[in-house]
Amino acid sequence: MARKLLKACGMGQAGKRSATRRVPEDSASQSAQDLVRAAGGGLLIGLPLLFTMEMWWHGFLLPHWKILVLLGVTFVIVIGYSALSGFRRDRSVVQLLVDSVETMGLAAVVATLALLALGRIGPDMGLREVVGKVALQMIPIAFGASLAATQLAAPEDSDQDTGSSAGDSAAVGTVGRLFVAAGAALLFALNVAATEEPMLLGIQAGPWLLLGVMVGSYLVTLAIVFYADFRGGSSAPIGAGVLSGPFTETAAAYAISLVVSLLLLWSFGRTDGMGLSAVIGQVVMLGVVASFGAAAGRLLVGGGGPSGGGGGRGGEASG
Amino acid sequence: MRKNWVEWVALGISVLAIVAVVGFLAVDGLTNRGTRAMPSAELDPGGGYATDLGWVVPASVRNDGDAPAERIVLEASARVDGERQTSTFEIDFLPAASEVEVYFGFDAEPEGEVEVRVVAFGVP
Repeated sequence: MARKLLKACGMGQAGKRSATRRVPEDSASQSAQDLVRAAGGGLLIGLPLLFTMEMWWHGFLLPHWKILVLLGVTFVIVIGYSALSGFRRDRSVVQLLVDSVETMGLAAVVATLALLALGRIGPDMGLREVVGKVALQMIPIAFGASLAATQLAAPEDSDQDTGSSAGDSAAVGTVGRLFVAAGAALLFALNVAATEEPMLLGIQAGPWLLLGVMVGSYLVTLAIVFYADFRGGSSAPIGAGVLSGPFTETAAAYAISLVVSLLLLWSFGRTDGMGLSAVIGQVVMLGVVASFGAAAGRLLVGGGGPSGGGGGRGGEASG
Repeated sequence: MRKNWVEWVALGISVLAIVAVVGFLAVDGLTNRGTRAMPSAELDPGGGYATDLGWVVPASVRNDGDAPAERIVLEASARVDGERQTSTFEIDFLPAASEVEVYFGFDAEPEGEVEVRVVAFGVP
């Protein structure tokens, strides 16, 4: 079942990629290098939120179960990201789960060390406060660790693993692209969801402004992914499904971005006691950031067809 | 599946870290008594000392409830040079089961007892 799901998401080719790996699989130094790269990627992505005051506060302000929900969503996305670009590519479904656990555990260790180094946790604090802060910071760091392999690895590693870095593009289908879009939307939106700015913007915006923002978010992200000729972009349909065209995929990605925004606003208590119009305003405003994240995520995995993107990864994949 | 000691160690530490974080949140959430925020303050008059601004008296502020408190307003009062003088302090956030140290300032060393009380606080 899990293999079918991975195949449906276009993630099923990972197991074929290790034959030409430069360093033997059982090399301890290679494993250590992978872990260091994952930790570095986690820090690169997680640093802004490690320095965000609201994230420290939400560590002890959020109820236990909301933090657990966020960690659960993160784990699911990390599994998907690991399938696409994790720091070990030759794996079965069990190995994929084990690697995802390892990514989350690494994120916990890195978050703990970083918060200790910044003086945000210490022995004089209550355990609930310490664990809450670590748990929240695990989210961006785990995303960064997942992305560390293909996007941050040395070119020779990627090439030897996959034949070419564009191999990933060819492997990622529409569902996979939208999955990555959801993860990237979560990551981008998380950077501002904990702050008060989306709430202020959403409450103060009128309905016409919100409609304009929605149209603008859709058009700009459509242009970024399909018409701006970014690396990883594509000007052609990426498959045969109804969501494979530029307009429909962008609409789906935007809808996912709004759902992700609502999830984050709810998690951080921004919807508590708010009227419907205030909630919608916040969702639309945070959705701007989330939709740009979703666009960046889709660019990251590419997936363009034969006429894709003029030199983008999609084009390379088919060439 | 796992081929070398580095990966075994990494996996072991990862499992421990996740069990610690998720396990604590789950158990603490289930066993939480749900009591409201209960901030309280206790002075340490013997710990007072002179500064360029006058005399400061330390106090510890605790929250013994299960919920965090925000914008906790504290007021200390004492007789200084024959007159009643008050000193106030506001804490942004105080997590559950946590303690912070604050300092109340007076023009000079207080005469007699210093009193402190929590004036108001909010619940986030």
